Amino acid sequence: MNPLVVNNVVKHYADKTAVSGVQFEVSKGEIYGLLGANGAGKTTTMRMILGLIYPDQGEIKYNGKPYSNELLKNVGYLPEERGLYPKIRVSEQLIYLAQLKGMSAKDADRSLKYWLERFEVPENYNKRVEELSKGNQQKIQFISAVIHNPQFIIMDEAFSGLDPVNVELLKATVKELRDNGASIVFSTHRMEHVEELCRNITILHRSKEVVKGSVKDIKSKFPKEKVWLQTKEEVAGLEQLSGVKAVHRHENGLEIEIAEEKVAAQILNHALSQTEIEHFQVKEPTLNEIFIRTVGDRNE
Amino acid sequence: MNNFWTVVRFTVMNKLKAKAFIISTLVFLLIISVVVNIPYIIMQFQGGGEDKTQTVGYIQDGQSIGSVTGQQLEQYFANIEGSKLTFKGFATSGNAASDEETLKSELDAGELYSYLQFGEATDSGFPEIIVKSEKLLDYSVASQIESALQVIRHNNILSEAGLTEQQMKELQAPIVVDAVQIKGSLSAGGEGEGKTAEEQGVNMGIIYFIIIFLFMAVMISGQMIASEVTAEKSSRVMEVLITSVSPLTSMFGKITGMFLIVIIQLASYLAVGAINLSLPHNAEMLKELNIDLSVVDPMLLVFAGLYFLAGFFLFATLYAALGSIVSRTEDLGNAVMPMTFISLAGFYIAIFSISTPDSLLVKICSHIPLFSPFVMVLRLGLTDIALWEVLVSFAILLVTIYLAVVLSAKIYRTGVLMYGKRPSMKELRKAMKAYKI
Repeated sequence: MNPLVVNNVVKHYADKTAVSGVQFEVSKGEIYGLLGANGAGKTTTMRMILGLIYPDQGEIKYNGKPYSNELLKNVGYLPEERGLYPKIRVSEQLIYLAQLKGMSAKDADRSLKYWLERFEVPENYNKRVEELSKGNQQKIQFISAVIHNPQFIIMDEAFSGLDPVNVELLKATVKELRDNGASIVFSTHRMEHVEELCRNITILHRSKEVVKGSVKDIKSKFPKEKVWLQTKEEVAGLEQLSGVKAVHRHENGLEIEIAEEKVAAQILNHALSQTEIEHFQVKEPTLNEIFIRTVGDRNE
Repeated sequence: MNNFWTVVRFTVMNKLKAKAFIISTLVFLLIISVVVNIPYIIMQFQGGGEDKTQTVGYIQDGQSIGSVTGQQLEQYFANIEGSKLTFKGFATSGNAASDEETLKSELDAGELYSYLQFGEATDSGFPEIIVKSEKLLDYSVASQIESALQVIRHNNILSEAGLTEQQMKELQAPIVVDAVQIKGSLSAGGEGEGKTAEEQGVNMGIIYFIIIFLFMAVMISGQMIASEVTAEKSSRVMEVLITSVSPLTSMFGKITGMFLIVIIQLASYLAVGAINLSLPHNAEMLKELNIDLSVVDPMLLVFAGLYFLAGFFLFATLYAALGSIVSRTEDLGNAVMPMTFISLAGFYIAIFSISTPDSLLVKICSHIPLFSPFVMVLRLGLTDIALWEVLVSFAILLVTIYLAVVLSAKIYRTGVLMYGKRPSMKELRKAMKAYKI
């Protein structure tokens, strides 16, 4: 049985349904992606996993057991918004938070120093949180979620406010946590992160699951509807081919939207008859496109 | 349990290290030091003027009702030992205007402190009297003259009625009645002889002190607890915290931490006050007041301590609950307003009833949970209250605390995750059902 099982949970708020029938499992050493537009129910789902709110229906099992206070020590949470004491020193509050998770002050201090070193900000040890830049605050927030080496990690928008260099740094860290056997639930709006990190994902829309499964399966289920074409000379008459929906001219190539996958071959033949081809690719839909299609369609 | 003490320590340490807290405590300590020494300081300033007599001038023309009165006053004050007023008559020039000029010039020269002007005779047997002085609103001369004239008239009438000296003395001899409070057999205060007036005075002082102490503790810590909770909520640390420690533990850890803080703070105020009082120059003054703390009934202190603890705890939990409802510090004032009013009401009922500790209002309020910590101390200290009454009141208080804890914990558990506008009662009730505490 997987360490984290979310079984058909439902949550109603006063007069609206926040989460309706969400179901997934996270195995050991896996990052599970939870996607969705704002207000789709991601945070509510995460809060239910954290035990902050109880599901109205369904259940969540941790290592096969229901939620208990004991579990708190094994959970790390990175909230979407900054959640630190602005006026208290980094060392003091992180050691406090780690102590609440059952660490001794000494272990917590050692662990904190390791992480600060790891994120290349050891000088922040004695600073107040309000003195730090947004990116550095996010690093501290990240440390607060993992300082006690938890088995379950819930990350809500982990990489917000970070520059690309730091995103890579944290991404590498998340992968390492995964490889060390943590079960991670990860939510983001940034699809490229999901493609890189997550094995399985759920896309939520208006409190319901709309797309679910492994990233690979999901992609293969969506038809390939784009062709990338780079040629030596201009190709004329592409628009007239049947099955071509649109041609976008980019600086160094053409992006052609097609109705069916087999149209791609016709495009290739058409282009070959006119000039030499430098690059031809039938593109997989990106998660971004899948997301916009599934969520966007239903918006209309 | 471990987490509980972690929260307590964190709360206490952060507060003790906070600049605002340190500064406000120091400022208050300074104010206390000054206030305690004010009587001494004032005395120092008055030191020079202590023996100086004030001379009051009047016009002496021999037979007018005014100058007769003036003479009577002059004699009266001359006969009083240590009187600071003397009167001095000035011969009339026959012209009222130039007479006043004379007196004015004496006043300017510093010979006179003030002077009198007499008008028409009145029903009182004396003329209208106006005290003229350069001092603003100086009523002391006028009031001394008033009481002197009372005595003079009294004596005049009595001697005219033909009373002997002996009879007059008898009439003036003071009558002494001592009030001694005794205890009934079911009294809560343990065995004892009852309270003499002096003991009652000391008790009254102690009670004032306890009521003010409780009020300050509740107000200071209540505000602090509520604003800490709101601050944690608005900075969203709360979300991280409640995934680490149960809301109940966090709430009671905070309350206990604040209790320690308030005790530390108030104890330092007390200590500084006591140190100042025991300075040599103040010690004498204290001795003059003749306060004997050994007459305080220890049972009063025990009960007062219990009520103090219970009252503090009750208010603190409610403040914590209120703090958890709002998500921004700006909204906090509105949310805690009802609590502030209730504690103010309890405080004032107790303070204003201190001379009537037996009134129905006090009896009723001493059983109303949020008021009883303030009001019951009154009855314990100043009246003969049956033990069962105290126990009933305390039991009511304890039950209320239990209910308040359950309710506050629920509100807290619910409130800390509710952001945005302040939730309505209905929303809160509905959300509360979703949680076990």
